[in-house]
Amino acid sequence: MRVTSSMMIANTLRDLNSSMGRLQKTQTQLSTGRRITKASDDPTGTANAMMLRKQINRLDQRSRSLADATGWLETADSRLTAGLDVLGRAKEIAVRAANSGGLVDVNARLAMATEIRSIREDMLGLANSTYGTRSIFNGTASGAAYSAAGAYLGNSASVVRDVGPMNNLAVNITGPQVFGTAGGPVGNLFEVLDRLANAVAAGNDAAIATEHTNLDNATQVMAAATVDIGSRAATLDGIRSRAMDDDLRLRTALSGVEETDLASALITEKAQENSYQAALQVAAKILPPSLLDYLR
Amino acid sequence: MTGISSLYTALSGMRAQSRVLDLTGHNVANAATPGYHRQRADLQAVSGGTPGLFSGVNARNFGVEVVSVTHSFDALFEARSTREEASRSATSLVSSTLSQLQAAIPEPSDTGLASQLDAFWGAWSDVATQPDSLPVRAQLLSNATSLTNSLHSTAASITALKDTAIGQMATLAGDANGLAAQIATLNKAIMANPTASLDLIDQRGQIMTSLAKLTGAVSRPSEGGQIDVSIGGRLIVSGTHSFALDGAGGTLRWASDNLAVTATSGDAAALSATITDIVPRYTAALDGVAAALVSSVNALHAVGYDQTGTTGRQFFDPAGVTAATIGLSVDVNGLPGNIAAGAPVLPGPVAPGPLDGDQARAIATLAESMTGADSQYESLIANLAVETSVAAQRADLQDQVADTAKAQADSVGAVSIDEEMANLTAAQRAFEASARVMTTVDDMLGFLIEHTGVVGR
Repeated sequence: MRVTSSMMIANTLRDLNSSMGRLQKTQTQLSTGRRITKASDDPTGTANAMMLRKQINRLDQRSRSLADATGWLETADSRLTAGLDVLGRAKEIAVRAANSGGLVDVNARLAMATEIRSIREDMLGLANSTYGTRSIFNGTASGAAYSAAGAYLGNSASVVRDVGPMNNLAVNITGPQVFGTAGGPVGNLFEVLDRLANAVAAGNDAAIATEHTNLDNATQVMAAATVDIGSRAATLDGIRSRAMDDDLRLRTALSGVEETDLASALITEKAQENSYQAALQVAAKILPPSLLDYLR
Repeated sequence: MTGISSLYTALSGMRAQSRVLDLTGHNVANAATPGYHRQRADLQAVSGGTPGLFSGVNARNFGVEVVSVTHSFDALFEARSTREEASRSATSLVSSTLSQLQAAIPEPSDTGLASQLDAFWGAWSDVATQPDSLPVRAQLLSNATSLTNSLHSTAASITALKDTAIGQMATLAGDANGLAAQIATLNKAIMANPTASLDLIDQRGQIMTSLAKLTGAVSRPSEGGQIDVSIGGRLIVSGTHSFALDGAGGTLRWASDNLAVTATSGDAAALSATITDIVPRYTAALDGVAAALVSSVNALHAVGYDQTGTTGRQFFDPAGVTAATIGLSVDVNGLPGNIAAGAPVLPGPVAPGPLDGDQARAIATLAESMTGADSQYESLIANLAVETSVAAQRADLQDQVADTAKAQADSVGAVSIDEEMANLTAAQRAFEASARVMTTVDDMLGFLIEHTGVVGR
């Protein structure tokens, strides 16, 4: 093949251009810190990166739900634990009132009845506990869970938090599940406390004994609810630690897909720079000479 | 027999070598002229006329003459190079169009549509957690608005690519018409003097390459050194006539009868692909994302309940199912309280408690739907990435093919300075030698005249 100087110039230019192009690509990777600056750099990597980013965003979202669920459960747990203490105090009073029978001073009985009534108020306040502005024992209804008379105002719906893929956890427990159902021969905790206060005030030992038993049962119900809440909180702990592992794993994977491996990119860049300079030097040497330079 | 005739033999040598020197100068001067092909003098020994019956060999003339000037030109290589140049134009334009399209939909990024979709679903999830909070609901509406705005602007930048291509098509038609007219004019000049118009032929070849780059036109030789040029089998230049194209409205058409031009290569093919294939395809894909978003969110939202127990509200405007027209419905726009976060209680359905957020939670999980907006958007990006990367590879490959074809054509036609210098030296020496012959003959004749035949002294 006949080779002319214009062909050599064209070839050299093309080689220099492509060498420059490779160098520029590596330098973009280095300066942006990203291996994929546009989707076509690596279509498969892009698809992976998008999937990973979505999962990370979902995980962030779920960790917000998780924090909310944790707060909700912790509030319920601390309230119920406090409630159990208060109920213990009510039982003590019931025992004292029953043991002293008719011997107890009327004023003392009235004082005990008053204390039981104040315990009932405490329990009512507890039943109307809120997380943020929202009552935690009234399902999805708005406003307070119990009226001053002790009537349940909420509904039986569960409040669900999206805490993991295909993992929806109910974070609430409704009033009747904690304080018993209103009506019937026994009624809810507030009715029991009401009757107990009346019985203590009246010094009716038989009634005190009955209500004491009812109070025991109500305590059992509340304790069961506390355990239920506690076990859900434990589930959340497991989910949270898995979510943290997932987060680390996903971010590591995303960084592997999207980000520049600095060491290898730097070495590549150095090699390309050398080859570009060598190409320039060779071009400078081979382009000028022709027979013209040697004919005198 | 050496005599007066020998002087003329030497003269013919000097004349011919002068011509060779001339051409060498012409070649060197045009070494960098695009489309120029080197020219060579064809020398031939003059054998004189057929000797007369009674004349001896003495009567013959000797010497040399330039019988023709050869154009170093390989039609096959040239045609191939022109075709590959047209193809290079098409592939590189398609590749750059797709790059621009990709720049209009930047992914993966922290600000692209994918992250806005994530933020949108995240806002639904926040509403599910705090259905009673008006600010959280308002945040959802603002996320939804920024998502629809992003869809609008992405759709607009894709459409802008099409509009640009339509404008370019009109310019291209004008350029092609100018080039075709020039070819027709050159055809006329070349036909007038086919042998003396090598430079015009080169000029015409160069214009032909430009026309091929624009329209993928091909040429074939016709009578009298003319060329006929056709696009998609129909003549745009026939001898000294050229036919006009019209590129208004994004379709390249023949001005005479408004039929479409079937350009299969060159910029015209790439522009046509942009206008009729690439842009509509990705617009449709983006519309699909918008439509999936509207239908999937609305389907759940319409059966959900807001805090006052009202149901049947649309979230997105059901009329806006394209990326350019998607928007919030009048039911919820500016009215965060109307967002239906509550799920219907079955059987019934009856309204849930006012603080129920289950429907919002269900809508948030649409993010993971295999057929939802997100997955459609991901497949759009994946398709675009693959298509762009394949187009770039094809353009690179075509670059090499075209360069090789050009090198092949150049290997025949391009000026080599070395060669010209060698020719220059050879011609110079031959000229000097012819001059020496003349001097020698002159000396001999002088000797004869001075020293012999003293008659008349």
